[in-house]
Amino acid sequence: MKKENKMRKIKLALIISTTASLLFLSGCADKVQRIDMNNDKGDQVIGLDYRDFNQAAGEATQSLLKSSALNTKDGNRVILVISDIRNDTMQHIDTDQLIKKIRIELLNSGKVFVTTALGSSTDSMNKEARKLKDNADFNQKTVQKEGTLMAPDMSLSGKILQRNINMGNAKQQVEYYFMLSLTDIKTGLALWEGETVIGKRGSGKSVAW
Amino acid sequence: MKIVILIFSILFLLSGCVNKSYVKFVDNNIENYIEIKKINERVREDGFKEIEVVGENTTKYYKLFRYRVTWEDKDGFAIPSLSSNWREFPVQKNAQFRINVIAPNKKAVVYQLYLDKTDR
Repeated sequence: MKKENKMRKIKLALIISTTASLLFLSGCADKVQRIDMNNDKGDQVIGLDYRDFNQAAGEATQSLLKSSALNTKDGNRVILVISDIRNDTMQHIDTDQLIKKIRIELLNSGKVFVTTALGSSTDSMNKEARKLKDNADFNQKTVQKEGTLMAPDMSLSGKILQRNINMGNAKQQVEYYFMLSLTDIKTGLALWEGETVIGKRGSGKSVAW
Repeated sequence: MKIVILIFSILFLLSGCVNKSYVKFVDNNIENYIEIKKINERVREDGFKEIEVVGENTTKYYKLFRYRVTWEDKDGFAIPSLSSNWREFPVQKNAQFRINVIAPNKKAVVYQLYLDKTDR
């Protein structure tokens, strides 16, 4: 009888200690917080984050719209192709983080149509759908005819550069350059050029990639 | 009676023409640092509205502020654009500053420009 009581006490002590440990550990777990993207007061990071892309895209589109580069004599939209946008940084970023924002803003401006028939934002279906010609499975009246794709008038190209500078005292400066050019394909002349520079300073131990 | 109806009709029509655009300080403390001197507006040749706010830093301190602009069409519907994100701008001591923004498209005719402090 005494032995049974002792066993019960040990079991109860085990349950209490396990529950207490679990409660303690759950309090230590890092809480995940969702970022308020409209008013983010979080610390800056040494790498590029969405705030930097927002700034670069915002400045580029404002500069483009203020210039008369996208104005046509007849008021028609310019057909724009996205050319090479190089990532010359040490970070694994997709340049669409910048270009997509610019494309959306320009499309909504009513001044531009972006072609996905060629360039770096090609939609392969433009070609694939045309291979359906003479395919008996498809109603041939619904297959796109030859000569319907629109050729671009202008091209948007550019690159994102990164420069790391060792400042001593275990500090570093990282400079990011967002460079864009708008070229008139007919003449090969660059009608607009834009550059946004973002500089950051931080610990030399921070890794900018 | 006809005159009263006429006056009310004119007032009603005029109320529809009121420009709801404005420039606003989010934090009233900003008034201690900067003063808005002029707000320029124009419709460019391409039909896009352009605004320019001219102000002055009345203190002897360099300051960093931020602004954002929201746009509406003539019916009061919001037009999303990148300019609605906060953007920082420097205000040099005892100097003028200019904020120049172009509308995201021709339909954007009403704007609200907000000025705020930064945490830096």
